[in-house]
Amino acid sequence: MFATIALIIGGMLAVQFETTNNPIVRDTRDLWELRADLEKEKQRQQELNEELQRYNELLNKYESEGNDEKIKAMEKALADLKKQAGLTTVSGQGIVMTIEPFSDQLIGDRPLPKIDPDMLRRLVNELNRYDAKEISIDGQRIVSKTPIREVNGDIYINNEPVSSFPIQIHVLAKNNEKLHRKIIASPAVEEFVRENFFVEASLAEVILPAYEQSVKVKYMKPAKEET
Amino acid sequence: MWLPVLGLLLGLLLGFMSDLRVPPEYSNYLSIAVLAALDTLFGGIRAHLQGSFEDKVFITGFFFNILLAAGLAYLGVHLGIDLYLAAIFAFGVRLFNNIAVIRRLLISKWTESRKKA
Repeated sequence: MFATIALIIGGMLAVQFETTNNPIVRDTRDLWELRADLEKEKQRQQELNEELQRYNELLNKYESEGNDEKIKAMEKALADLKKQAGLTTVSGQGIVMTIEPFSDQLIGDRPLPKIDPDMLRRLVNELNRYDAKEISIDGQRIVSKTPIREVNGDIYINNEPVSSFPIQIHVLAKNNEKLHRKIIASPAVEEFVRENFFVEASLAEVILPAYEQSVKVKYMKPAKEET
Repeated sequence: MWLPVLGLLLGLLLGFMSDLRVPPEYSNYLSIAVLAALDTLFGGIRAHLQGSFEDKVFITGFFFNILLAAGLAYLGVHLGIDLYLAAIFAFGVRLFNNIAVIRRLLISKWTESRKKA
Protein backbone atom coordinates (compact mmCIF):
# COMPACT_ATOMS: atom_id res chain seq x y z
CA MET A 1 0.00 0.00 0.00
CA PHE A 2 2.72 2.34 1.06
CA ALA A 3 4.67 1.40 -2.03
CA THR A 4 1.75 2.28 -4.33
CA ILE A 5 1.44 5.72 -2.81
CA ALA A 6 5.19 6.17 -3.05
CA LEU A 7 4.98 5.22 -6.71
CA ILE A 8 2.27 7.82 -7.33
CA ILE A 9 4.28 10.45 -5.47
CA GLY A 10 7.36 9.59 -7.49
CA GLY A 11 5.41 9.97 -10.71
CA MET A 12 3.98 13.30 -9.60
CA LEU A 13 7.40 14.57 -8.61
CA ALA A 14 8.87 13.56 -11.94
CA VAL A 15 6.05 15.18 -13.91
CA GLN A 16 6.33 18.36 -11.87
CA PHE A 17 10.08 18.37 -12.36
CA GLU A 18 9.70 17.93 -16.10
CA THR A 19 7.05 20.64 -16.26
CA THR A 20 9.11 23.25 -14.44
CA ASN A 21 12.32 22.45 -16.23
CA ASN A 22 11.06 22.37 -19.78
CA PRO A 23 7.56 23.76 -19.91
CA ILE A 24 5.33 23.28 -22.91
CA VAL A 25 5.76 26.22 -25.25
CA ARG A 26 2.73 26.85 -27.34
CA ASP A 27 3.28 27.60 -30.99
CA THR A 28 1.26 30.73 -31.66
CA ARG A 29 2.56 31.56 -35.12
CA ASP A 30 -0.05 32.10 -37.79
CA LEU A 31 0.07 30.87 -41.34
CA TRP A 32 2.13 33.75 -42.68
CA GLU A 33 4.63 33.67 -39.89
CA LEU A 34 4.99 29.95 -40.40
CA ARG A 35 5.59 30.47 -44.08
CA ALA A 36 8.13 33.19 -43.42
CA ASP A 37 9.90 30.97 -40.90
CA LEU A 38 9.88 28.07 -43.29
CA GLU A 39 11.37 30.30 -45.94
CA LYS A 40 14.03 31.45 -43.51
CA GLU A 41 14.93 27.91 -42.59
CA LYS A 42 15.13 26.90 -46.22
CA GLN A 43 17.44 29.81 -46.89
CA ARG A 44 19.55 28.78 -43.94
CA GLN A 45 19.70 25.24 -45.17
CA GLN A 46 20.83 26.42 -48.55
CA GLU A 47 23.47 28.64 -47.05
CA LEU A 48 24.74 25.83 -44.88
CA ASN A 49 24.83 23.51 -47.84
CA GLU A 50 26.79 26.04 -49.83
CA GLU A 51 29.20 26.49 -46.98
CA LEU A 52 29.61 22.77 -46.67
CA GLN A 53 30.33 22.48 -50.34
CA ARG A 54 32.85 25.27 -50.18
CA TYR A 55 34.71 23.65 -47.33
CA ASN A 56 34.59 20.30 -49.03
CA GLU A 57 36.17 21.84 -52.09
CA LEU A 58 38.81 23.44 -49.94
CA LEU A 59 39.46 20.13 -48.27
CA ASN A 60 39.76 18.40 -51.60
CA LYS A 61 42.20 21.02 -52.69
CA TYR A 62 44.31 20.56 -49.60
CA GLU A 63 44.30 16.82 -50.03
CA SER A 64 44.91 16.65 -53.74
CA GLU A 65 47.71 19.19 -53.95
CA GLY A 66 51.28 18.68 -52.92
CA ASN A 67 52.97 20.19 -49.89
CA ASP A 68 54.04 23.34 -51.63
CA GLU A 69 50.62 23.87 -53.04
CA LYS A 70 49.11 23.19 -49.67
CA ILE A 71 51.01 26.04 -48.10
CA LYS A 72 50.04 28.26 -50.97
CA ALA A 73 46.40 27.36 -50.59
CA MET A 74 46.58 28.01 -46.87
CA GLU A 75 48.22 31.35 -47.43
CA LYS A 76 45.50 32.23 -49.86
CA ALA A 77 42.86 31.18 -47.36
CA LEU A 78 44.59 33.26 -44.69
CA ALA A 79 44.73 36.27 -46.97
CA ASP A 80 41.05 35.81 -47.81
CA LEU A 81 40.15 35.63 -44.15
CA LYS A 82 42.23 38.70 -43.36
CA LYS A 83 40.45 40.55 -46.11
CA GLN A 84 37.10 39.41 -44.78
CA ALA A 85 38.00 40.48 -41.27
CA GLY A 86 38.95 43.95 -42.48
CA LEU A 87 42.66 43.70 -41.74
CA THR A 88 43.72 44.89 -45.19
CA THR A 89 43.39 48.16 -46.99
CA VAL A 90 40.80 47.96 -49.71
CA SER A 91 39.88 50.39 -52.41
CA GLY A 92 37.50 50.61 -55.29
CA GLN A 93 34.42 52.25 -56.63
CA GLY A 94 32.20 52.99 -53.65
CA ILE A 95 30.14 55.58 -51.88
CA VAL A 96 31.22 58.56 -49.84
CA MET A 97 28.76 59.84 -47.27
CA THR A 98 29.36 63.20 -45.67
CA ILE A 99 27.67 64.17 -42.43
CA GLU A 100 27.78 67.77 -41.30
CA PRO A 101 25.52 70.14 -39.42
CA PHE A 102 23.20 72.32 -41.46
CA SER A 103 24.78 75.69 -42.15
CA ASP A 104 24.49 78.37 -39.47
CA GLN A 105 21.78 80.32 -41.24
CA LEU A 106 19.54 77.34 -41.16
CA ILE A 107 19.91 76.50 -37.51
CA GLY A 108 20.19 80.08 -36.26
CA ASP A 109 21.65 80.60 -32.82
CA ARG A 110 21.19 77.04 -31.74
CA PRO A 111 24.29 75.16 -30.64
CA LEU A 112 25.87 72.62 -32.92
CA PRO A 113 23.89 69.42 -33.03
CA LYS A 114 25.51 66.38 -31.46
CA ILE A 115 25.83 62.93 -32.92
CA ASP A 116 24.62 60.13 -30.75
CA PRO A 117 26.62 56.88 -31.03
CA ASP A 118 23.31 55.05 -31.37
CA MET A 119 22.63 56.93 -34.58
CA LEU A 120 25.97 55.86 -36.01
CA ARG A 121 25.45 52.31 -34.89
CA ARG A 122 22.05 52.26 -36.51
CA LEU A 123 23.50 53.67 -39.69
CA VAL A 124 26.19 50.99 -39.75
CA ASN A 125 23.61 48.31 -39.14
CA GLU A 126 21.49 49.65 -41.92
CA LEU A 127 24.39 49.85 -44.34
CA ASN A 128 25.23 46.26 -43.53
CA ARG A 129 21.65 45.33 -44.16
CA TYR A 130 21.86 47.01 -47.56
CA ASP A 131 24.72 44.67 -48.48
CA ALA A 132 27.58 47.02 -47.78
CA LYS A 133 30.77 44.98 -47.76
CA GLU A 134 33.24 47.33 -46.14
CA ILE A 135 32.64 50.47 -44.10
CA SER A 136 34.92 53.04 -42.60
CA ILE A 137 33.92 56.09 -40.60
CA ASP A 138 36.33 58.99 -40.45
CA GLY A 139 39.26 56.79 -41.41
CA GLN A 140 38.37 54.07 -38.92
CA ARG A 141 37.57 50.73 -40.45
CA ILE A 142 34.43 49.14 -39.08
CA VAL A 143 34.96 45.47 -38.27
CA SER A 144 32.77 43.14 -36.34
CA LYS A 145 34.38 44.13 -33.06
CA THR A 146 34.48 47.88 -33.62
CA PRO A 147 33.15 49.83 -30.66
CA ILE A 148 31.27 53.07 -31.29
CA ARG A 149 31.02 54.94 -28.01
CA GLU A 150 30.52 58.33 -26.52
CA VAL A 151 33.16 59.41 -24.06
CA ASN A 152 32.85 62.82 -22.42
CA GLY A 153 30.67 64.06 -25.24
CA ASP A 154 32.98 62.90 -28.03
CA ILE A 155 32.39 59.99 -30.34
CA TYR A 156 35.08 57.31 -30.24
CA ILE A 157 35.35 54.68 -32.93
CA ASN A 158 37.91 51.91 -32.45
CA ASN A 159 38.88 53.88 -29.34
CA GLU A 160 39.98 56.81 -31.49
CA PRO A 161 38.14 60.12 -31.22
CA VAL A 162 36.27 61.20 -34.33
CA SER A 163 37.56 64.48 -35.64
CA SER A 164 35.29 67.46 -36.16
CA PHE A 165 32.71 67.83 -38.92
CA PRO A 166 32.28 66.93 -41.68
CA ILE A 167 32.44 63.22 -40.92
CA GLN A 168 33.14 61.08 -43.93
CA ILE A 169 31.84 57.56 -44.23
CA HIS A 170 33.27 55.36 -46.95
CA VAL A 171 31.33 52.35 -48.08
CA LEU A 172 32.15 49.59 -50.51
CA ALA A 173 29.36 47.42 -51.84
CA LYS A 174 28.71 44.88 -54.52
CA ASN A 175 26.13 47.07 -56.16
CA ASN A 176 26.95 50.69 -55.49
CA GLU A 177 24.01 52.25 -57.34
CA LYS A 178 21.55 50.14 -55.44
CA LEU A 179 23.18 50.98 -52.13
CA HIS A 180 23.21 54.65 -53.04
CA ARG A 181 19.48 54.61 -53.74
CA LYS A 182 18.84 52.77 -50.50
CA ILE A 183 20.93 55.25 -48.50
CA ILE A 184 18.89 58.12 -49.88
CA ALA A 185 15.70 56.53 -48.59
CA SER A 186 17.26 55.18 -45.40
CA PRO A 187 15.50 55.79 -42.06
CA ALA A 188 18.86 56.10 -40.32
CA VAL A 189 19.80 58.97 -42.58
CA GLU A 190 16.42 60.56 -41.88
CA GLU A 191 17.27 60.31 -38.21
CA PHE A 192 20.41 62.38 -38.87
CA VAL A 193 18.36 64.98 -40.74
CA ARG A 194 15.92 65.17 -37.84
CA GLU A 195 18.87 65.96 -35.60
CA ASN A 196 19.86 68.85 -37.89
CA PHE A 197 22.55 67.11 -39.86
CA PHE A 198 23.04 67.36 -43.56
CA VAL A 199 23.87 64.00 -45.10
CA GLU A 200 25.18 63.71 -48.60
CA ALA A 201 26.02 60.50 -50.42
CA SER A 202 27.81 60.25 -53.73
CA LEU A 203 29.53 57.63 -55.80
CA ALA A 204 33.29 57.95 -55.79
CA GLU A 205 36.57 56.09 -55.75
CA VAL A 206 37.25 55.25 -52.10
CA ILE A 207 40.13 53.82 -50.11
CA LEU A 208 39.31 52.12 -46.84
CA PRO A 209 42.18 51.79 -44.36
CA ALA A 210 42.86 48.52 -42.59
CA TYR A 211 41.75 47.86 -39.06
CA GLU A 212 44.92 48.61 -37.15
CA GLN A 213 44.34 47.24 -33.69
CA SER A 214 44.81 43.62 -32.81
CA VAL A 215 41.67 41.56 -32.80
CA LYS A 216 41.25 39.98 -29.43
CA VAL A 217 39.54 36.64 -29.59
CA LYS A 218 38.16 35.86 -26.19
CA TYR A 219 35.58 33.17 -26.58
CA MET A 220 37.08 30.87 -29.18
CA LYS A 221 39.14 27.75 -28.74
CA PRO A 222 40.82 25.64 -31.40
CA ALA A 223 38.67 22.62 -32.10
CA LYS A 224 40.22 19.32 -31.20
CA GLU A 225 41.49 17.51 -34.20
CA GLU A 226 39.90 14.14 -34.74
CA THR A 227 42.50 11.47 -35.03
CA MET B 1 10.97 -1.44 4.27
CA TRP B 2 12.61 -1.15 0.91
CA LEU B 3 9.43 -1.56 -1.07
CA PRO B 4 8.29 2.10 -0.71
CA VAL B 5 11.73 3.36 -1.75
CA LEU B 6 11.61 1.06 -4.73
CA GLY B 7 8.13 2.35 -5.52
CA LEU B 8 9.33 5.96 -5.30
CA LEU B 9 12.25 5.27 -7.62
CA LEU B 10 10.01 3.38 -10.04
CA GLY B 11 7.54 6.26 -10.01
CA LEU B 12 10.30 8.79 -10.70
CA LEU B 13 11.60 6.64 -13.51
CA LEU B 14 8.15 6.19 -15.04
CA GLY B 15 7.46 9.91 -14.73
CA PHE B 16 10.69 10.84 -16.48
CA MET B 17 10.32 8.15 -19.12
CA SER B 18 6.74 9.00 -20.00
CA ASP B 19 7.70 12.57 -20.92
CA LEU B 20 4.35 13.64 -19.54
CA ARG B 21 4.01 17.34 -18.98
CA VAL B 22 1.30 19.47 -17.46
CA PRO B 23 0.15 22.65 -19.22
CA PRO B 24 1.63 25.69 -17.49
CA GLU B 25 -1.75 26.93 -16.25
CA TYR B 26 -2.18 23.75 -14.23
CA SER B 27 1.36 23.40 -12.95
CA ASN B 28 0.38 25.34 -9.81
CA TYR B 29 -2.12 22.68 -8.86
CA LEU B 30 0.34 19.92 -9.46
CA SER B 31 2.99 21.60 -7.35
CA ILE B 32 0.56 21.92 -4.47
CA ALA B 33 -0.57 18.35 -4.95
CA VAL B 34 3.05 17.24 -4.81
CA LEU B 35 3.49 19.13 -1.57
CA ALA B 36 0.38 17.52 -0.11
CA ALA B 37 1.58 14.12 -1.24
CA LEU B 38 5.00 14.66 0.33
CA ASP B 39 3.31 15.74 3.53
CA THR B 40 1.21 12.59 3.57
CA LEU B 41 4.23 10.47 2.82
CA PHE B 42 6.23 11.85 5.72
CA GLY B 43 3.18 11.65 7.93
CA GLY B 44 2.90 8.00 7.00
CA ILE B 45 6.56 7.35 7.76
CA ARG B 46 6.17 9.03 11.11
CA ALA B 47 3.05 7.05 11.95
CA HIS B 48 4.86 3.91 10.93
CA LEU B 49 7.76 4.69 13.27
CA GLN B 50 5.38 5.51 16.09
CA GLY B 51 3.53 2.28 15.51
CA SER B 52 0.22 3.98 14.87
CA PHE B 53 0.12 3.46 11.12
CA GLU B 54 -3.25 2.70 9.57
CA ASP B 55 -3.79 1.96 5.93
CA LYS B 56 -7.17 3.62 5.71
CA VAL B 57 -6.06 6.84 7.35
CA PHE B 58 -3.01 6.96 5.16
CA ILE B 59 -4.79 6.39 1.84
CA THR B 60 -7.72 8.69 2.60
CA GLY B 61 -5.32 11.31 3.91
CA PHE B 62 -3.30 11.12 0.74
CA PHE B 63 -6.17 11.66 -1.66
CA PHE B 64 -8.15 13.99 0.59
CA ASN B 65 -5.16 16.27 1.21
CA ILE B 66 -4.35 16.44 -2.48
CA LEU B 67 -7.92 17.23 -3.43
CA LEU B 68 -8.26 19.79 -0.67
CA ALA B 69 -5.06 21.54 -1.63
CA ALA B 70 -5.93 21.63 -5.32
CA GLY B 71 -9.49 22.72 -4.52
CA LEU B 72 -8.22 25.50 -2.30
CA ALA B 73 -5.89 26.68 -5.03
CA TYR B 74 -8.75 26.56 -7.54
CA LEU B 75 -11.02 28.53 -5.24
CA GLY B 76 -8.24 31.03 -4.66
CA VAL B 77 -7.80 31.60 -8.39
CA HIS B 78 -11.50 32.31 -8.79
CA LEU B 79 -11.76 34.52 -5.71
CA GLY B 80 -8.59 36.45 -6.52
CA ILE B 81 -7.00 35.45 -3.19
CA ASP B 82 -3.78 33.51 -3.11
CA LEU B 83 -5.34 30.71 -1.13
CA TYR B 84 -2.73 28.25 -2.28
CA LEU B 85 -0.37 30.05 0.06
CA ALA B 86 -2.49 28.74 2.91
CA ALA B 87 -1.99 25.21 1.64
CA ILE B 88 1.72 25.75 1.14
CA PHE B 89 2.05 27.18 4.62
CA ALA B 90 0.07 24.42 6.29
CA PHE B 91 1.81 21.63 4.45
CA GLY B 92 5.20 23.24 4.83
CA VAL B 93 4.87 23.53 8.60
CA ARG B 94 3.54 19.98 8.88
CA LEU B 95 6.34 18.70 6.68
CA PHE B 96 8.95 20.21 8.97
CA ASN B 97 7.18 18.93 12.05
CA ASN B 98 6.91 15.44 10.65
CA ILE B 99 10.52 15.34 9.59
CA ALA B 100 11.61 16.61 13.00
CA VAL B 101 9.61 13.90 14.73
CA ILE B 102 11.01 11.26 12.38
CA ARG B 103 14.51 12.45 13.13
CA ARG B 104 13.96 12.26 16.88
CA LEU B 105 12.46 8.82 16.62
CA LEU B 106 15.34 7.58 14.52
CA ILE B 107 17.89 9.06 16.90
CA SER B 108 16.25 7.51 19.97
CA LYS B 109 16.05 4.17 18.19
CA TRP B 110 19.72 4.40 17.31
CA THR B 111 20.85 5.28 20.82
CA GLU B 112 18.74 2.43 22.19
CA SER B 113 20.29 -0.06 19.85
CA ARG B 114 23.75 1.17 20.80
CA LYS B 115 23.01 0.81 24.49
CA LYS B 116 21.92 -2.76 23.92
CA ALA B 117 25.05 -3.57 22.00
